[in-house]
Parts: sequence; structure tokens; C-alpha cells
Amino acid sequence: MSMRYTEVFNSIPYLLQGVGTTLEITIYALFLGAFFGLLLALARVYGGNISRRFAILYSRIIRSLPLLVILFLLFYLGTEVINFSEFQAVILALAIHTSAYQSEIFRGSIQSISKGQMEAALALGMSKTQGIFTIILPQALRRAIPYWGNEASIVLKDSSFAYVLGVLEILRRGEFVIARTGQALITYIIVGIIYLILTSILTKCLSIGERKFRIPGL
Amino acid sequence: MKESSGSQVYDIKVINRKVNNMTKPILRIQNLHKKFGSSEVLKGLNLTVDEGEVVVIIGPSGTGKSTLLRCINRLETPDSGEIYLEDQKIEHGKTNLSRMRQKIGMVFQDFNLFNHLTAIQNVAIGPVKVKKIDKAKAMKAAERELERVGLKDKANSYPAELSGGQKQRVAIARALAMEPKVMLFDEPTSALDPELTGEVLAVMKDLAKAGMTMVVVSHEMGFAREAAHRIVFLEDGIVSEMGSPEKIFNNPEKQRTREFISKITSLSGEGSA
Repeated sequence: MSMRYTEVFNSIPYLLQGVGTTLEITIYALFLGAFFGLLLALARVYGGNISRRFAILYSRIIRSLPLLVILFLLFYLGTEVINFSEFQAVILALAIHTSAYQSEIFRGSIQSISKGQMEAALALGMSKTQGIFTIILPQALRRAIPYWGNEASIVLKDSSFAYVLGVLEILRRGEFVIARTGQALITYIIVGIIYLILTSILTKCLSIGERKFRIPGL
Repeated sequence: MKESSGSQVYDIKVINRKVNNMTKPILRIQNLHKKFGSSEVLKGLNLTVDEGEVVVIIGPSGTGKSTLLRCINRLETPDSGEIYLEDQKIEHGKTNLSRMRQKIGMVFQDFNLFNHLTAIQNVAIGPVKVKKIDKAKAMKAAERELERVGLKDKANSYPAELSGGQKQRVAIARALAMEPKVMLFDEPTSALDPELTGEVLAVMKDLAKAGMTMVVVSHEMGFAREAAHRIVFLEDGIVSEMGSPEKIFNNPEKQRTREFISKITSLSGEGSA
């Protein structure tokens, strides 16, 4: 029995090798998602009729689909129609999924900035675009940090879905360790602890960022 | 901050204006109409403001005072009617609108300072972003504007660290930094505690003294008496009566104006002044 535990513990370095992959998936997906999420949010708040409707529809559809369904859709799209790898499929699926949620976060934070801010920018002679980029977004993005941090830790955890496509991230490596040792419980505990540590670091970084970018007096 | 040196200066200015016949119209508003839904707020309003003139607009609430100011710099789009600044029509179309707005300074009731910028950045951002003035130069100029409103020492404070009166003075400096031809004030002191209105009004009086053309929506009767060249009584979407402060305060033509004046002067404790 204890021999088997030892075998699991000896596999920890092997599990940790998956951290890089997990982080890579998370970071790519998160920032792609942030870029498109922000575009969608801007379309929603400031866009014309068509772009606004598109943003609403996109958000509604994507948020209604289970992540696994999006993942498989992209996987088969990647193998049967266009040629991209499982790794890329995972990143795209997560990015599409999170972009819908991030668009809601950004929309909310943009709309929380009082109307008077844009009016004051326009009254100075700024264009609407200048107003958005120099006045509205710098304030809205600061407000979005806590909610964005929450979404970031969700994406980090959701990156584990990559295991169903055979991408060698933390969870997939855990499956291999279990197959070799037969110790499912202890392996999942270790995998869980690794995710816990990663999420804690991420949350810590974001709260430092939040403090750094805080507007004095507010 | 400098104290204003009494009303004499203004009287001389009024006399000068009359004697020299220095009445060059700078802002012309013709037959302005604006509806919100089914309620018509402005009903064919006409008003001409001369260069260097200080016009104070008074009137019951909901009568279109703010809407008028917001139509002038096109924060609201009028339904019909024309507005000319220096004989140039203000209309939609990107370049025209930005150029015209640069010439029209606006001071809002609730300040609308940019919360993520310091006082001096608030003042400098217009010249830097809109007029494309070199940043170092704009910051120097911004410092001068802050000094003018008595807030040089608050240059690096953020809006949330300032009192209401200080915020409004920064907002005035921000508008002045664009070197506007006309300044619009939309109830600039009504969001302030009474003890803070004085510092804002003092800045406005200095500005009036310096010859700035000002259109002020305000019920600060002290300011109106002292600094205004003309009082415009707006009611029901049109100019109901206008004239010099002496005429409007002491001898208005219309019963309605008389009632309104007596109501607000008694409310602001000016009745005996």
C-alpha cells in the first residue's frame, strides 16, 4: 500500500510538468477572450444596431452552450474541416467561451461609468472614440479587475477540460499516474492541490494589480 | 483666491459696452425646438449673446434651461432651429462639431471631472488630445489655469480627494484650458454645500471681469445681480422676459417674472439684501 503511495508521490514532478501547458492554455485563452470580449462589449454599448445585436446574440448563444460541446465542436472542426491541433482547439474553445462572459463583465463596467464622463469628453471636443479610449476604458477596466480575476480563475480551472482531447496538461497527466498506480484518490488530491496553488497565485497577482491601479481617494 | 473687488467694475463695464456700442453678437440661437418623447421642452427659443456679455438664465425647473445649454454644444440634438457661433453654424458632422465644441467651454452641475486623472491632468487632457499640443507645454499651461482658480497646490490631487467647490474650480480650469470663446455654466453651484458656492462664484466673477462671454444657468441671485449684464427669464420653452438685472429684479414687466423672482430671492434669503 505504502509502496503505491510512494509511487504517486514520485510522480509529482511528472504532474508538475503539466503546469506549463495549463498556464499556456489559460493565458492564451484568457487574453484572446479579453480582446474579443472587449470588442463585443464596445459593440454592445457604443455600436450601431447590427453590431449591438450581433454582440447580444453571440453572448447569448455561447453562454448557453456547455464548454465541452464547444470544445468538441472545435476539435472536429480542427480535424475534419480546417487543420489545427488539439492544443489550438482547446485554446480557441476556451477563448470563445470566456469571451462571452468577459464581454458581460466589460459591458457592465463600461456602463457603470457615469454618462457625464463621456459628455465632458465630448464637450472638450474629443471624438467619441477618443472619449472611449482616454476617459471611459481607463476607468471601466480598473473597475473590471475583480470580476475579471474571478473569470481568470474559472478559465484556469476550465483548462483541465483539455484532458478530454488528450492534451498533456495537469489533469491528463494525473490520469496517466492513476493508470500506472491505481491510486485515484491520492492522485486527485495532489492534482487538486496544484490547482489550488495556481489559483491562489493568480488571485494574489490580480489583487496586487487592483491595488496598484486603484484611483486615489476612490 | 482673489476676492472680487465689488460690483463697480461691472457697472463701468456695462456703461462701456453701452457707450461704445460694443455689441457684437457671438452666439445666435434661432427658433430652437427640442422634444423629449411627447413633451416639448424648447418651443422656438430665440436668444442672441454678445461678445463679452454675461447672461444669466433663470426660470422654473423643467423649463428647458439645461436643455438649451446642452443644445448649444450639441450634447443634445435640437429637433429644429439654428445655432451660430461667430456666424458659423453649429451642426453635426465630425470636424465641425469638434471644432465648435473646442470654442465652447462647458461646466456641469456635477463637475464630471475625469476620475482617473489628477487635477492638472484633467486640465491638460483637452489641449493634449484635442488640440494636439505638446504635453510638457500643456502641463505648464494647465498649471497656470489651476493657479487662476486658486488650486495650484492641488495639481496632483485626484478628484475624489477634492471638495465639491475645488472640483468645480478644476472643471472651470479644464474648460478654460481650451481657450473657449463662450463658457456655458449649467447650474454650477447647485450640487455644492452652501459654504462652498462662494469660492466657485468668485472664480466666475473674475472670469466675467476678464471679459469672458458667459451663459450661466443659475439661481444664485447674488451672482446675477453683481456679474450679469442681462437676465433671461425662461418659461415654457421660450424666453418669456429679459433685461438688465435692475429691471428684472426691481421692475419686471410680467407678473409671472415678478412671482418667480420673489420666490427665489426669499428662498435664498436675499429678500432684504
